[in-house]
Amino acid sequence: MIEVVPRLLPGLRTTIEVSAISLALATLIGIWLGVIRAFTKARNPLNWVLDAYVFFVRGTPIIVQIFVLFFLAPELGLRLDPYWVGIIALTFNSAGYQIEIGRAAVQSIGAAQFDASRSLGLSRRQTIWLVILPQAVRRMIAPLTNEMSQLIKASSVLSVITVFELHKAANAISSASYKYVELLALQAVFYLVLILSVSRFARWIETSVLDTGEGGADFQVR
Amino acid sequence: MTTGLDTGFMLEILPKLLRATWVTIQISVLTVILSCLFGGLLSAWRILGGRVVRAVIYGFVEFTRGVPPLVQIAIIYFALPRFDVVLNEFWTGVVALTFIGVGYTIEIVRAQVESLGRGQSDAALALGLTPWQTLFLVLLPQALRRILPPLTNELVNVIKASALLSVISVNELTKVANELIFIHFVVIEVLIELTFLYLIVVGSLMWLSRWLERRSAA
Repeated sequence: MIEVVPRLLPGLRTTIEVSAISLALATLIGIWLGVIRAFTKARNPLNWVLDAYVFFVRGTPIIVQIFVLFFLAPELGLRLDPYWVGIIALTFNSAGYQIEIGRAAVQSIGAAQFDASRSLGLSRRQTIWLVILPQAVRRMIAPLTNEMSQLIKASSVLSVITVFELHKAANAISSASYKYVELLALQAVFYLVLILSVSRFARWIETSVLDTGEGGADFQVR
Repeated sequence: MTTGLDTGFMLEILPKLLRATWVTIQISVLTVILSCLFGGLLSAWRILGGRVVRAVIYGFVEFTRGVPPLVQIAIIYFALPRFDVVLNEFWTGVVALTFIGVGYTIEIVRAQVESLGRGQSDAALALGLTPWQTLFLVLLPQALRRILPPLTNELVNVIKASALLSVISVNELTKVANELIFIHFVVIEVLIELTFLYLIVVGSLMWLSRWLERRSAA
């Protein structure tokens, strides 16, 4: 078991890379759209589009979404290698969940904050940027770190489209050496350590960096 | 794309996909029932057990939540024969998903029981009930109402996770759709139907979960 550890490290790197890149891209797209979604009027057609997108992402398994992109990209004339198909698929998936994170965080701030700052003479733009968002962003941190562990776990599914991440790398070794259970145990340890450190780091950010006296109970967004 | 969708073909494969959807539903419902049974029992131990028992169950929950479902499915698939348990694909799939589901169910039950507040358990204990009686006669019946919405949510997650069983060749929806793609080399038609079938099943459950949530809040 010890001797194969170095051979798993490149796979582990790909797993971290793919999840981190997807999280960053999806945060740019998803949180932004989620904040917009929270501020648009109920009749706005943009709401319909975003809601349909979120429904699709939450209503289908990740493996199906990965297959759809993997098979659809060539039909549309796009030649991408699996690595990038994987990143696009995870980004597409995660952005859907992050729209909900952004929307929920903004809506949890409460209309009173909005009304109060408007009546103090702040413009709509100032209210959003100076009053609502600074508070909302803090509430996004916990669900976002949760999303990071979801992404790490989802990245294992990219093995089915031959992305050489941790699970695929371990599979390749075990089908050559027939040591299935040993390699699966190793993988489990790798993933556990990775995900536990992400969530410990998240808790540290929550408790020491962002502790603004808002009250611990109030902070548990999940 | 200039060529339209081959609707004739879509109709032709529909019965096959519907049968596969039924398999997906069967697996998922069985999984949720089994994980409720084991999850309920283990969460009782998680709440009332000694220090060692609690630590073991805590470790198990961390494992199921921290390791990708795909890896856990593979572990069950390769580990069961080592213990001389030989099951067909269907039941291997149910066991694997139940293994994952139990971890999540323990957390759901524990969280809901703890959310009831200490007054309930203090009062029951003061009236002379044993800890186990308190849990099963006082706390769990009250928690049950609140457990229902997150449990429907869990069923949604299990249905989505069951798609991963395609890698251990369980004949559920994703696997059958995949086979159709490789037999007929028709991609988009199959993918559209596959997506819609999942959306219908999962969508109606998400609606049910929201309805239950509104009802239990009232």
